[in-house]
Amino acid sequence: MSEHTVKRRKLSPLPEDAAPPAMQSKPSTDGTAQRKDGHSTKANAGNRAKDERSAELAMASGFYKSSFFKLQMDELLSGLRPNYESRVSKLQETLHKVKDAIESLPEKPPKHISEAEKELRSANGVVVPWPEPRPGKETKYTMSYTKPTNINVVGSLALRTGARTAETRAVDLAVTMPSSLFQEKDFVNYRYFHKRAYYVACLAAGIQESMVSLGFEIKFGMQDGDSLRPLILLESRDGKEKTAQPPIRIITAIEPTLFPITKTLPTKSNIRQGSSADNSEIREPSPFYNATLRSEATVSLFHKAVHSATQKCESFRDACILARTWLQQRGFHTSFQGGGFGGFEWAALMSLLFEGGGPTGQPVLMRSYSSYQIFKATMQFLAGRDLMSPLLLFSGDLSLPQGEGPILYDGRRGLNILYKMTAWSYATLRREAATTLKMLNESREDNFDKVFILKVDEPTLKFDRLVTFPKSFNGDTLRALREQNALYKVLSRALGDRAKLISFSSHCADTWSIRSKSLIKKASETLSVGLLLDAENASRVVDHGPSAEEKDEAASFRSFWGEKAELRRFKDGSILESLVWSEQPSEKSIVHQILAYILLRHFKMSESDFEFIGDEYDEKLRSQGGGIVAYSSPPFQMINDAFNDLESSIRNMDEVPLDVRHLAPASPLLRYTALRVQSSGGVAHEAADIVLQFESSARWPDDFTAIQMTKVAFLIKIGDSLESAGTATSCRVGLENESSKVLNNAYLDILHTSGFLFRLRIHHDREQTLLERQLKDKTLSPREREGIAYALFSYKKLFTQAPRLTQAIRSLCTRFPLLSPTIRLLKLWFSSHLFSAQINDELIELLATRAFMQPNPWDCPSSVMTGFLRTLHSLARWDWQQEPFIVDLGGDLDPDVTETIRTRFSAWRNIDPAMNTVALFVASDMDPDGVTWTQYEKPSKVVAARMSTLAKAAMSVVRKNSSDFDVSDLFQTSLAPYDFIIHIHPKVLGERSGAVSKFKNLADTGSARAGKMAAIESFVHDVQACYSQGILLFHGDEHCSVIAGLWNPQTLKPKSWNLKTAYSTAPASSATSKDCVTINRPAIINEIARLGDAFVEKIETHGTSEEQ
Amino acid sequence: MKGESVEIAGYTTLPLLLPETRTFPKTATHYLYLRPHEPRIPDPDSSRSLFVVNIPIDTTETHLRHLFGAQLSAGRVERVHFEDVPTKKHSSEAATEGNLSHRNKKRKRITADDLQSTLDSITLPSTWDRQLQKSGAHAIVVFADKPSMESSLKAAAKSGKRGPKIIWGDGIPEDRIPELGSHRYSSHERMRYPDRATLLRTVNEYMTAFAEVSEARKREEMKKTQEPDEDGFVTVTHGPKLNSVAREDEVKDLIEKQKKKNAGLEDFYRFQSREKRKARQNELLRRFDEDKRKLRDIKDRRGKIRPE
Repeated sequence: MSEHTVKRRKLSPLPEDAAPPAMQSKPSTDGTAQRKDGHSTKANAGNRAKDERSAELAMASGFYKSSFFKLQMDELLSGLRPNYESRVSKLQETLHKVKDAIESLPEKPPKHISEAEKELRSANGVVVPWPEPRPGKETKYTMSYTKPTNINVVGSLALRTGARTAETRAVDLAVTMPSSLFQEKDFVNYRYFHKRAYYVACLAAGIQESMVSLGFEIKFGMQDGDSLRPLILLESRDGKEKTAQPPIRIITAIEPTLFPITKTLPTKSNIRQGSSADNSEIREPSPFYNATLRSEATVSLFHKAVHSATQKCESFRDACILARTWLQQRGFHTSFQGGGFGGFEWAALMSLLFEGGGPTGQPVLMRSYSSYQIFKATMQFLAGRDLMSPLLLFSGDLSLPQGEGPILYDGRRGLNILYKMTAWSYATLRREAATTLKMLNESREDNFDKVFILKVDEPTLKFDRLVTFPKSFNGDTLRALREQNALYKVLSRALGDRAKLISFSSHCADTWSIRSKSLIKKASETLSVGLLLDAENASRVVDHGPSAEEKDEAASFRSFWGEKAELRRFKDGSILESLVWSEQPSEKSIVHQILAYILLRHFKMSESDFEFIGDEYDEKLRSQGGGIVAYSSPPFQMINDAFNDLESSIRNMDEVPLDVRHLAPASPLLRYTALRVQSSGGVAHEAADIVLQFESSARWPDDFTAIQMTKVAFLIKIGDSLESAGTATSCRVGLENESSKVLNNAYLDILHTSGFLFRLRIHHDREQTLLERQLKDKTLSPREREGIAYALFSYKKLFTQAPRLTQAIRSLCTRFPLLSPTIRLLKLWFSSHLFSAQINDELIELLATRAFMQPNPWDCPSSVMTGFLRTLHSLARWDWQQEPFIVDLGGDLDPDVTETIRTRFSAWRNIDPAMNTVALFVASDMDPDGVTWTQYEKPSKVVAARMSTLAKAAMSVVRKNSSDFDVSDLFQTSLAPYDFIIHIHPKVLGERSGAVSKFKNLADTGSARAGKMAAIESFVHDVQACYSQGILLFHGDEHCSVIAGLWNPQTLKPKSWNLKTAYSTAPASSATSKDCVTINRPAIINEIARLGDAFVEKIETHGTSEEQ
Repeated sequence: MKGESVEIAGYTTLPLLLPETRTFPKTATHYLYLRPHEPRIPDPDSSRSLFVVNIPIDTTETHLRHLFGAQLSAGRVERVHFEDVPTKKHSSEAATEGNLSHRNKKRKRITADDLQSTLDSITLPSTWDRQLQKSGAHAIVVFADKPSMESSLKAAAKSGKRGPKIIWGDGIPEDRIPELGSHRYSSHERMRYPDRATLLRTVNEYMTAFAEVSEARKREEMKKTQEPDEDGFVTVTHGPKLNSVAREDEVKDLIEKQKKKNAGLEDFYRFQSREKRKARQNELLRRFDEDKRKLRDIKDRRGKIRPE
């Protein structure tokens, strides 16, 4: 058990070329070491010796990050191992019957094609599923049917390498066609495939009656989505019921020696249009055709190879299960449309890697490996070895040129096992493999969920932009391949380094009835293209092409781009061919512009011929977020400049007796994450918090009130000084929390000459020491203690964490250009769902940051769409009651910190199991406390649950991906779930702020908006403070004119009255119990109406509150 | 509900009619619960006080005076104590003072305490023109004398029997109490920024008083060191008095230094490394058990581990 785990660790940092033989010698030494340690464990802790196994595993766990991964993996494997006994016993009889039915079919003498076809149709009603191009009338060769050489069950059932999945897997029945049917030259020009199609049709015609009596429906389908190879599909008519038989696929095979291997090498050309077959040398090679043909001959060979691998290595089957799970979660399938790399290909690859594949030809896998090691080593092989330059195994001195797709040529069986993979599917696979390898090597988290459990293959989460072509690219595989290759080449050239990955996917053609014509011609598959963008390059405005002097390149550039290419002289004097795209906000994104232009130019596709998804999120942010998308937009730069100017003047103040140690920004406005910087009038939107710390001095008093008074004195001084220096238009000292002695009491509002408003608070670090000392005081009453604890909490939040977070997010925003827009769009989402009063900005920022700092299993988001949707996805998946949310802000998150955070989390859940003060727990390496932004019901558990529900709903809308899905749907506020709704009077608000400006000539500089927001916040705060237990209020940002409320459901029942009832009550009308009271909702609403007065337009109530 | 007087847990209920408002056109009834004030530790005023529970959130002293004086016309209200208005300021102040010994304070503190109370009375100006009450809160209404309290209670019970007739706040002259609604919030916006002169004056007054208090305290300390206490002992104090906060910092520094000194000496003896190894093994075992438990938890919560 522990042997392989020991080695696993040896494997993990293994560079690609490390020699596996070295590993072989390991087990002996490790074994002894382990024995010795096992012994000492026993000797040292006799009482612990009870559980040998656990001790052993614990030892093993010491050699890699956690045994938890292994425990989970064992659990996963045991859940996914199919029960072969029951499956086989269920199927055996049926399979025998099918086999008998096939074997009893009569032979058919050779006939001319049209004759044979006609006969099948008239006698059995079966239409031959010819591949494209169908055989011509003048075809000379004949069609016939004879009894198959043998019939075998192949594939995952026979090999027992399958995994249990949601949908039942088909059982493969391979029918080997007799060699006598074919002629020597049948490998050229589809002749083999035509004969095969006829053979399949004969089989279908012959067995259709007996199959119907067995309860099967008989259909044609395509093997691996390949239109050259139709197959027969037997589907149980019981449908999806549990008792139903799994479907049976009847596939064909030929003797391996029927056609020589040399004829089907990837370099050969076997599709010759002309009549003369001699000039094959100059024709294009047809690798896909050749490989398809060869794969028919290798059915039994690969079956044997995989079988012998399962015999040699006992963990091979488990490794197959892991691989299948991994592939399935990433949307890879055997079919050509699904990437051409499925469970079978993986198993074949592994069986090859037991024999070779290393850099010097040595095996990559060892028989003694555990399933995990096999999985990981294969992953390493996939990620490490670039198979676009062909890898040939056991093929002597054969050499293959670089093809369009990857090549892993198995010389023994004569097949490139990756023949169905294309350049793009291979790139996708390698990218996934590299990501997975990174996750497996990461010591910070175990990542098990992300490797095996999470569904990675969600287009909107995976790709930054999606393009779909509703029509075009029909079902003929060879043609589709050609067309897609052409499209791929054009797109990759057009996008260049803007895209990191271009990936195509389409759906396998459906099955069709054996009595109707093949769907091949009709099938109009939609092709979806996923783009992974490069965040740095994607929005580049000018593309530099080759210099005008390089004639050939310039010509090719011109012919590719057409009139879009123009010759320009650049600042450094070079004259280059170049492209200039528009960056006007009214225009579509540059990637969209490029696609629209190039598709029209090369494929005559207008904008209505394809659909482009991804820009809508940017648009939404632009329209709602004050026209800003990028963090580098002028408004953010302006406020930062204003801050820098302010900082230098504060540092140069002479009138203030203390030296400035630090002036730290602590506001979303100063870390590029405020949804809006300026309000419509172009004036400051909200005050930006900044924190000033002086050099320490012994002259500060040790009394809380005196400290606050000293702060006021300093603030007045600073204000005077800034005004006289001309940095600030005006300064005024404001008060907050003035009824508390321990909270911060005063701040200075500085209106900078640029029009931005800053709110300065003084950070005095002695306060923390004083508060902490107070907390230790045993004589405090619980209430006072609470007050002090709250003061300490808000001190840390205001003066320690907020500046620290600002610093961190600021630098992350410049590092990840999409972080700022993602956060801002997420803020819009939270505010449109009326969470503004409940959820702190900082919390939202942390939630979004994780998608960038810990992007696994994807890449770091390069679009607003992926950033936003992945954050929602992680919110939807977050089991917040049981799990902390851990963000790696500074890149310092190591296992120790994670451990600390988890301990704190469980401590909180122990102290407060009902989650009355802490519902969400969001920690980072900079703030392992985890409650800075969420304590004191920010949000309460009701709101947290609602957030979770909304995120889940949003994800399910996105997943459905229906055509009429509009991004705005995600931001639609629904007022239905609320009990009452307070509409704020828009007009009164406007007048009110006007009145303010009359009183204070300061206010006319435009804090009207801010005033409006502050007034709403004060109102909400008032109401919430008055009815802390009874109601819960929701409201959005300043564009939102409603406040929605919920009654606490616990107050709805009549209760026996006591003094602690913290809501307005009325005596219960029923005489059941005498001292019972109920909540007096009309009176409460009336009170709110009185409190709001002219402020409120109207109050609506829903449901229960009306009945009284 | 008309015609019956309801008593809840010994409290007389007084229904109040809330008139419909523009924004919520529906009348409502609010219930006040009244009873004579009987505190655990009676004070001279408690016999003429009424304990009023479930006051509306916009209750002011004016409201209650008007209710008992004019609307029920039964008694003159002397003053009102609201819940949550700190009355025991002094005890908490003493606690925040820190390490001063209580015994000495009692004997000598007349002057210093006087100064302290003037100090406490200097506060920053309030930013609200009117305080709100918490929903369901209570207030103590002190009447001019006991009879007016009793007759008020009676009048309330009687009025309760007749059903809600008294309109809350009806007839209070408009200029007596500050308006609510947008007026409240705009004046709050204004009052948050007191003018510079007021602030400066407050701060100066406070700092002067603060200096006086500390001076007085220091003097008393000095005196204490010279005078023998009841048992004839003189408390001996040492040199320059560091304040306790600074001392704490010093202790912290010392611990840090000690730690630094010991760094690198952990593996000096063999038994140390042996113990370390043992501890690590135990730790591994513990973690393994924990992992198992975690897995069990996850399985309980989400069912089997399987791909989505």
